[in-house]
Amino acid sequence: MPFNAKSGKFNASINVVEIGTGDKKIKIGGENVLPFYTFDAPVENAPKVGIEITDFGLEHEPDCVKKYYEGCATVVDMAKKAAEMEGVDFLSIRLEGGDPNGANKSTEELVQLVKEVAEAVDLPLVVCGSKNVEKDAELLAKAAEALDGKNAVLLSAREENYKAVGAAAGLAYKQLVGAESAVDINLAKQLNVLLTQLGVDGKSIVMNVGSAAAGYGFEYVVSTMDRIKAAALGQGDTTLQMPIITPVASEVWGVKEAIASEADMPEWGDQEERGIDMEVETAAAVLASGSNAVILKHPVSVATVSKMIKALM
Amino acid sequence: MAKFVTIGERIHCISPVIRKAMAERDPEPILKRAKEQLDAGATYLDVNIGPAESDGEDLMKWAVQLLQSNFDNVPLALDTANKKAIEAGISVYNRAKGKPIVNSADAGGRIENIDLAAANDAIVIALCSAEGIAADNDERMMHCQNMLERGLSLGMEPTDLWFDPLFLVVKGMQDKQMEVLEAIKMFSDMGLNSTGGLSNNSNGMPKHIRPIMDSALVAMAMMQGLTSAIVNPCDLRLMETIKSCDIFKNNTLYADSYLEI
Repeated sequence: MPFNAKSGKFNASINVVEIGTGDKKIKIGGENVLPFYTFDAPVENAPKVGIEITDFGLEHEPDCVKKYYEGCATVVDMAKKAAEMEGVDFLSIRLEGGDPNGANKSTEELVQLVKEVAEAVDLPLVVCGSKNVEKDAELLAKAAEALDGKNAVLLSAREENYKAVGAAAGLAYKQLVGAESAVDINLAKQLNVLLTQLGVDGKSIVMNVGSAAAGYGFEYVVSTMDRIKAAALGQGDTTLQMPIITPVASEVWGVKEAIASEADMPEWGDQEERGIDMEVETAAAVLASGSNAVILKHPVSVATVSKMIKALM
Repeated sequence: MAKFVTIGERIHCISPVIRKAMAERDPEPILKRAKEQLDAGATYLDVNIGPAESDGEDLMKWAVQLLQSNFDNVPLALDTANKKAIEAGISVYNRAKGKPIVNSADAGGRIENIDLAAANDAIVIALCSAEGIAADNDERMMHCQNMLERGLSLGMEPTDLWFDPLFLVVKGMQDKQMEVLEAIKMFSDMGLNSTGGLSNNSNGMPKHIRPIMDSALVAMAMMQGLTSAIVNPCDLRLMETIKSCDIFKNNTLYADSYLEI
């Protein structure tokens, strides 16, 4: 009997979400096959790569990242430079300094910065919060207001603050809502249900289902993403058909493999190379598990992962 | 596994309101019942126009277009003894949300409805009976085999025949209940889909008892592999039971709000 290859195409598909406006806007999602299974059906929108900067500018960046931003005096300068780097599809600004247990910068100060960045670059924007749920409820709501008309992603609404973030970003200012859960597939679904019950259009939601650096409980991340895509495509579960954006940089650049200096760990070799390796490996793995976009920090990682995506499409 | 398919049974000409609406082509009562059922979680809607000997074709076309244009091409089960009416309904049916279901064929006088489904790429409900209720599972499975072979010989996918074991009324046929459940297991072991008028079991029981009996039976039947049922989706207890069983069967992913979606 001749071999007949069966298509692994599903009847359901991931929602298409457009981020940003104008010439530089991007589309993620839309596929009805497993990640990169272009032999089963065409994947219209390739996964996208974002570059991350923070409100601290160069202050907390590793030396190897600093050198790429040489001559940048402000966060806005960095944003402009980041936007020009090879392979960058969108810009992510993380408002780390808003954390009340850290620098506790005011909402006004941070929102002003977001505004300046948005005016300086024409790339689609993702605004990440401080990771403090109370502060983010206020911060991301104000950022959504400040970015009116920019079609930006507010990352993220969590179980504790989805009402405030969802209402401002999804309802009042028609931005895109990033629904974040911490590697918990049932909560990922629940949060999407809660946001849609609030009135947010399911097609304006993207998910951050959690991440970890490769090697740090990473198998849970992979199995969560796999099962989300299986439910979304295989079971046609509309509450899980939102595309996934995974912040990788913020996980990777905190683990010892990326930050231990060569002086401390001579047997591990060059620190910059290690950091890039960790970032590229983690990004490649989450993309292979179904992420529709990744957020990275090192320009070499951005260029490498972007090249990998092109080669696989 | 796919999610359990509920076929809402409440658009039925046995109801005086619906019969009148069908006769007068009055959309409102029909749309109201359709909406109630869809809001309650029905996947398919059954459209029973009765024997409809005189104007069946026209009536079925009207009903199909009315429901599909108002409810985003909701998939329908076309339920009548009038074959021409079923064909007429299919001729205007939009398949975007699922194939039409022919309700129904049996292994006796109505076996030609399998041919009708095959010719129109439709799903058919195949009642495992011929003249009267099957005496035992040997007879039930013989009917099943006959209908399956007929469908396959006409080029149907085996999964497009949904076998109905015929749910039996407890008050009078209590000793036959486990047999029906065993038949479902046999369909399931063969990889076949199944359905049926589940609430038949509680016919003649007090109103407050029926949802309890129906829910218990649907849970047992789903355990056996039942893939669909023709039910009243407005029975909250029943729908909650179906949704919960879908979770246990890993047909849908659990979330705290699973009963609300």
